[in-house]
Amino acid sequence: MTTATKLDVVQLVRQPISVSRLVRYVRASTDGAVIAFDGCVRDNSNGRRTLYLEYEAYESMALAKMREIVADMHKKFEIGRVAMVHRLGRLDIGEASVMIVVGAPHRAAAFDAGRYAIDTLKKTVPIWKKEFFEDGAVWSEGEQPPMPGETAVSVKRASNPR
Amino acid sequence: MRVKVLFFGRLREVAGKSEEMIDVPQGALIEQLFKLCAARKPELTAFRPSLVASRNLEFASWNTALHPDDEVAFLPPVSGG
Repeated sequence: MTTATKLDVVQLVRQPISVSRLVRYVRASTDGAVIAFDGCVRDNSNGRRTLYLEYEAYESMALAKMREIVADMHKKFEIGRVAMVHRLGRLDIGEASVMIVVGAPHRAAAFDAGRYAIDTLKKTVPIWKKEFFEDGAVWSEGEQPPMPGETAVSVKRASNPR
Repeated sequence: MRVKVLFFGRLREVAGKSEEMIDVPQGALIEQLFKLCAARKPELTAFRPSLVASRNLEFASWNTALHPDDEVAFLPPVSGG
């Protein structure tokens, strides 16, 4: 199994995520760019007013998959440190659910690696989101991770038989 | 032999529990394990097409053979981020 480097930060947390702390940690003297992706809680789902979200994870596997993504980022892109932090539990509107920070000597690699990281996380990391509305709650439709041997493309299939 | 099964998200709600120890025959496949779970909780059956399986923290195909003390999860479509 591949692993992230010792300097990378990969965490699941239940408290608010501080982007400034992560950016300070990631930024190195060899960097010319640091990008931060802040995935935050929107106030609606297709126009339906969202009250709050709850996230749960298969924590041990989620951390393993997040470390694999960070290791792949280092193989694919010329980057420095990475921080990838996902929050679990109840989140209110406007709070960050996921933060990905990437440092690199040049901006293109930082942007590309950050985009790769969030896109891959959303397809392969076992985390689930439940959306709470004024009149009920639903599990988000989500994406089916590729099975072994399949390519890592999004496979949209029936996800909620109800 | 015994294996541990984990349920998450909507599947946890349908199963009514987050984990379960299950006795399976020697050499049983993940698919057979799911059928045993569904025999105990028939509501799980309808979710089968939407699920992927994992064995010991790695995605695993449904025809993977199980070993004693394996940790298996049936994972609904993921929605992190």
